[in-house]
Amino acid sequence: MFSRRSLLAGATALGGASLLPTLAHAKGSVTAAIYPGTWEEAYRSIVVPALKKDSDVELELQPLFAVDQVAKVKAARGAPPFDAFVLDPGPRIMAIEAGLIEKFDGKKLMNASKLPAGFVDEWGVCVGAQVVGIAYNPKKVPAPKGWKDLFSEPWVSRLGLTGFQTTFGTVSLIEIAKVFGGSETNVEPAFVELKKVLPKIAAVGQPAAMAGLFQQGQCDVMYTNTQTVATLKGRGVDIEFVKPETGAVAFYTTLHITKGATEVANAYKYFDAAVSKGVQEALTKPPYNFIPANKDVVMPSYLPMKSLDEFNSFVLHDWAKINPLRAGWIEKFNKEMAK
Amino acid sequence: MGRRRSFVDLSYGVVIGTLATIALLIIVAPVVIVLTTSFTEGRSLKFPPTGFSLQWYEALFDPSKSRQIHRAALNSLEVAACSTAFGILLGSMAALGLARGRHRLGRVVDGFFMSPLVLPGLTFGLAALMYFTLIGFRPSLNLIIAGHMIVTVPFILRTTTASLSQLDPALNDSSQSLGASWLYTLRRVTLPLIAPGIFAGAFLAFMASIDNVPVSLFLSTARTDMLPIRMWGMMESTLDPRIAAVSGVLITAAFLLMLVMEWTVGLTRRMRE
Amino acid sequence: MIKPAEWQLALPLALAFASIFLAPLLMLVGVSFFNDDKISQPGLAQWAKFLGDPFSYKVIADTLLLGVKTVCATIVVGYPLALVYLDAPPRLQKVMIFVIVMPLLLSVVVRTFAWIVVLGREGVINQLLISLGIISEPLRLLQTELGLVISLTQIEMPLMLLPLISVMSRLDPNLRDASAALGASRWRTLFTVIVPLSMPGLVAGCLLVFASSTTAFISQTVIGGVRLIYLPLLIWQQSLVVFNWPFAAVVSITLLISVLTVVSALSWLGRRSGGYVHG
Repeated sequence: MFSRRSLLAGATALGGASLLPTLAHAKGSVTAAIYPGTWEEAYRSIVVPALKKDSDVELELQPLFAVDQVAKVKAARGAPPFDAFVLDPGPRIMAIEAGLIEKFDGKKLMNASKLPAGFVDEWGVCVGAQVVGIAYNPKKVPAPKGWKDLFSEPWVSRLGLTGFQTTFGTVSLIEIAKVFGGSETNVEPAFVELKKVLPKIAAVGQPAAMAGLFQQGQCDVMYTNTQTVATLKGRGVDIEFVKPETGAVAFYTTLHITKGATEVANAYKYFDAAVSKGVQEALTKPPYNFIPANKDVVMPSYLPMKSLDEFNSFVLHDWAKINPLRAGWIEKFNKEMAK
Repeated sequence: MGRRRSFVDLSYGVVIGTLATIALLIIVAPVVIVLTTSFTEGRSLKFPPTGFSLQWYEALFDPSKSRQIHRAALNSLEVAACSTAFGILLGSMAALGLARGRHRLGRVVDGFFMSPLVLPGLTFGLAALMYFTLIGFRPSLNLIIAGHMIVTVPFILRTTTASLSQLDPALNDSSQSLGASWLYTLRRVTLPLIAPGIFAGAFLAFMASIDNVPVSLFLSTARTDMLPIRMWGMMESTLDPRIAAVSGVLITAAFLLMLVMEWTVGLTRRMRE
Repeated sequence: MIKPAEWQLALPLALAFASIFLAPLLMLVGVSFFNDDKISQPGLAQWAKFLGDPFSYKVIADTLLLGVKTVCATIVVGYPLALVYLDAPPRLQKVMIFVIVMPLLLSVVVRTFAWIVVLGREGVINQLLISLGIISEPLRLLQTELGLVISLTQIEMPLMLLPLISVMSRLDPNLRDASAALGASRWRTLFTVIVPLSMPGLVAGCLLVFASSTTAFISQTVIGGVRLIYLPLLIWQQSLVVFNWPFAAVVSITLLISVLTVVSALSWLGRRSGGYVHG
């Protein structure tokens, strides 16, 4: 009897605690989804204080992968759990098509003039770029030259693959297909080549598992983005990035306002802070290594681009064409790879 | 005859002993690896770890470095405590209600109560988010508690039902035929006998809630960050050794709790004598 | 005597289930009968697509088989551990209980990492076997069904052992002594006395292990890899990658029904054995 009562009392006390306000009062607030890991750490330590200082707006971040953000907003049907998205091109187009993104008014963005042409559009603002290529363990294998090398020894038996679930996985598989005669909309050659070497491949994994698999030597070559490589390297992992001979892939990361967002005005302030010179400069520094979007920021030498003008020399993809095909590719990947 | 007996019994000892040892190895190996890794001197999760240091525990307890983890851990603890408390109450009542029923309907209901275990958490999380926003709720801690209660109560129900099915019905009947009220019988006869079952289920439910990823993923908000989701992000992108330290803390806490319980129970026993 | 009808005690939970679980579930069933991912055209297209694809049946069978294999592995090593527990002195029993529940204290996130360490190419098992000279090339354990079953066995062990032990420890110890005194070998006592009497706990354990291993998405995909395809992976892809919720609903309902069928059969067995024990 005693224990049950004390348990209930304890439960009530805990329940009551959650009702207390946990945040210092600010003029306004905005909630935004952010990628877990480096993005969250960087935004928490740089963007949150900057926004608080400049506009007295409290930014609350919720770490979520792009697809999880889209799923949550879609499921919530007009009552989104956060005011702002951060998305890659693939999920971005899905979110636009599903009507989950509020139209964006570039004129309300004070820093718009500091961004290259095309970085602000009717859906949102681009805050940076990601570059995808090949990562390898320099202590175990020589540096591969390009995508084709991944299919021959010594790399193929050390290769860690992921499927079409993520943006980086999809673009990498497209690039592999291209090397073997395919195109942005025809990944068949990649499947043909994969099937040939499948028994040799070290791991076919879930994207979430790749860092751990690589760290423990289950695979020594994989495709990923420069930022992941920089983060892991900064943590003492034996990893190096290679720009494939056919070019590394680049894509933009964009911020958007969710349809039905309650703090639209503060979301604009948040976006403004995120692309401001001071914030962008701080974000380029290690351990974050973001590729900046603000033209006034000098690109540090350790980043994979010398300047944003170089962006167009990277391999780019048209996600409006890719997205409708992706469900089919995922299904095919399941069937072709299944044991 | 006697020698054959002892040989057979010896084989029993060897086989059972070997299998039990394998079971212990399977249970303990990952725990040892995680604990060892949590004391690494390196900057990322790696086994075998390089050097020995307590830096990741220090970082984990540092309020400025790990504020987000603390917030998430408090949320997770609160949700687990509340959902388990409700689960114990509703689950053991339901187990009592269904245990002796021989109705076909009772069996159907029992199967229904088990179904959250079988429905992938991902599906339930998604469906629950769609449904609750449809009827006008916004994701909140209370909603997560409700969701966790549903997916963890089957543990309590199952273990309680298992202990009840062993309970001799004659015991209840004789207690009541001796004039004891139903409630008195419940308190003095039934509950003490099924308490281990309830406790086992409650523990399973509590830990399942603490470690639940999919339901929390959909029902949480920026203000109700949950521990396993945060740890998942740390694992995927940074291989942060603090996630090993979190497990070290959980195991130590459980160990201390067990010692405390042992001490208090031992104390009560002494007082009774 | 004021006594509630027994079934009424199940009402509060039933109400909670109806409002928190059944309602979303019914909505899910409804969603499955739409043809498009915008959930606007009612129809049976998604069901037809799933049930018309032979690959689906392979995945369903693999998923159920994974559950069966895990249950078997857990019984084979877990039941002996329960027997050892039963014979252990009380102090050791307390330590054993702590060890048995330890897997639950290890978050799924780090647990998967630990299994990469144990089963990996350069992992603990391979290095041990190579240094002993038993093998020269590392075995493939990670991303195989064997490795997956081993790792699932660890996390499912408490689910099997806790119900089992809570039932077994209430068996009358005299029963075993009596059996031995009557000349039965320890094996015979095990199979004719202990196993039948512990049946309710064993069934409860099997049920929990089966249900939770067939839906263990994170272990299945991280340790099993994505070449081993089970229903939860399909559900994840459809709901969180391509956002085809009607199809995700179809797969979820299929998983629910197929696993519940097995679970109900087990549950029925449990009731029968419960009845058997008390005559």
